Amino acid sequence: MRRIKPLFFVTVIVPVFLAILYYGVFASNVYISESRFIVRSPDKPATTGLGVLLKSTGFANAGDEIYAAQSYVLSRDALQALNGKDAFVKAYTGPDVSIFDRFNPTGFSSSGEDLYDYYEKQVKIDQDTTSSIVTMTVRAFTPQDARRFNEQLLEMAEATVNKLNTRGKQDLIRFAQTEVDDAKAKSQDAAVALSSYRNQAGVVDPEKQAQIQIQMVSKLQDELIATRTQLRQLRAFTPQNPQIEVLDVRAKGLAAEIDDQLGQVAGSSKSLSSRVARYQRLFLESQFADKQLASAMASLEEARNEARRKQAYVERIVQPNLPDDPLEPRRLRGILSTLILGLAAWAIISMLVAGMLEHRD
Amino acid sequence: MRSHLAEVGRSASVQGRVVYALLMREILTRYGRHNIGFLWLFVEPMLFTTGVTVLWTLTQALHGSSLPIVAFALTGYSSVLLWRNMPARCIGAIDPNLALMYHRNVRAIDIFLARVLLEAGGATISFVTLSLFYIYIGWLDPPADILTVAGGWLMIAWFGAALGMTLGALSEKSEMVERLWHPISYLAFPLSGAAFMVDALPPAARKYILYVPMVNGVEIVRQGYFGEQVRVHYDFFYMLACCVGLTWLALSQIEVVNRGVTPE
Repeated sequence: MRRIKPLFFVTVIVPVFLAILYYGVFASNVYISESRFIVRSPDKPATTGLGVLLKSTGFANAGDEIYAAQSYVLSRDALQALNGKDAFVKAYTGPDVSIFDRFNPTGFSSSGEDLYDYYEKQVKIDQDTTSSIVTMTVRAFTPQDARRFNEQLLEMAEATVNKLNTRGKQDLIRFAQTEVDDAKAKSQDAAVALSSYRNQAGVVDPEKQAQIQIQMVSKLQDELIATRTQLRQLRAFTPQNPQIEVLDVRAKGLAAEIDDQLGQVAGSSKSLSSRVARYQRLFLESQFADKQLASAMASLEEARNEARRKQAYVERIVQPNLPDDPLEPRRLRGILSTLILGLAAWAIISMLVAGMLEHRD
Repeated sequence: MRSHLAEVGRSASVQGRVVYALLMREILTRYGRHNIGFLWLFVEPMLFTTGVTVLWTLTQALHGSSLPIVAFALTGYSSVLLWRNMPARCIGAIDPNLALMYHRNVRAIDIFLARVLLEAGGATISFVTLSLFYIYIGWLDPPADILTVAGGWLMIAWFGAALGMTLGALSEKSEMVERLWHPISYLAFPLSGAAFMVDALPPAARKYILYVPMVNGVEIVRQGYFGEQVRVHYDFFYMLACCVGLTWLALSQIEVVNRGVTPE
């Protein structure tokens, strides 16, 4: 018994005494403020092979925005934003914070990286993958601090998600807008080219003009046929009729007129049909450009709608609370676990030593 | 106090010599001096691990992450060998060595320690050698944090040693232990975290799988190996508590065996 005493003293009594001292006297109350939020975004996340497998088990991951919000909260940027005017450092180095819990107790580790290490221990952000609800907890030594930091972090997370949104939205719309602008320019160019050709060639619409002229020609031909028939009749029955001269001149005139008109429609270099090719090309180009413009306009409209719909936003479910009771440190629990671990260590070491002592020279 | 410490020191050195002698004897009786002799100690696990690695690579096993399959198989299967071989060798370890128990200084715990050390050494050498070899031929990136790997490895080894000694001591009492260990060790393989990342499991299952102590160890090893590439889940204190509890159980059971062993 006398031989075990020092061991028991070292493994059980000293640690438990230290634990009682720390948990009973030194440990500062830690207040924990909790908030919950969800990032809602209507677009479905892509699932990997295993994701599909696990879908059936009710496991689905949330959109990227959630991860963005989470990694921002745990980033050095967020810490810097919180630590404006040293607010964060002040909150965790106050005189009422015990030397064991405060940041930089020795005064030798005040670097930004040390602060970040400390910060990571104070802020916890967890995502429940089944419901995608993110729970954020902030530990601090006064309830007000805990709530204030939690609120600030929440606002920053919202800002991060919003930033991502606006970027995405702007990209979508900007792309569609450039499409529309291009199409507009093209359509204008085509219209200008068409109208300048009209002026230069003196045609409005060769197809229609040709039709009119062909109608005219057919009328003239009707008249010519009528005139010629009349002429034949007169020549047959009254060859001396003075009308014959008149009709003859008229028929010749009509025939000449018909040739002339037909020449205008086709054949000669100034005719409509020789112009129709170029006109048709310009006209088609103009029409095509118009159609493109219309479709670009439609897709711009769609992009705008999409952007309006694709809004991911942070939806607060639980506002940061003002804790009225310190949840940590769990004093009794700490002392008890120290006791149990100490006892186990004592039992093991004493058994090992007893086993050793059975070996003698 | 001083004299007592000196006594413990003397006894410890005696025990050290005994364990070393048993270890040497174990190597010789197990591997003999023919062909490559004691090199089999780690060539065997290396062949195992390489085989599994090649198989998994060929089948592109569904391991639930985008990690390189070689590193995944190496960390997973080596860990399995580490904790599975120790109980396998400890069960029924006393019987063949009963003759040695005539010596006052050869105790049950020495026999177990020798076998545990041998297995742990073999698995560790195999793991390290294979890692270096794979890194050399470019199948593997060097581990992100060797200390974390070593920590996780040590935890698994501790767990395996405690489990091995417990089962070894219990197997002296009843035949059942040996009969049951084979199916249990085979069934434990898929649960041990060797073939999956905890992060790939549904969150509901995650909670339960972490109650398996080896899983925590394997996750620590993987964190050390892959660093930032993976999200690992483990509860170090839970694993520590398991190891401490098992160690206590093992030592107390060995004590029982010590009383019961009667050299033939």
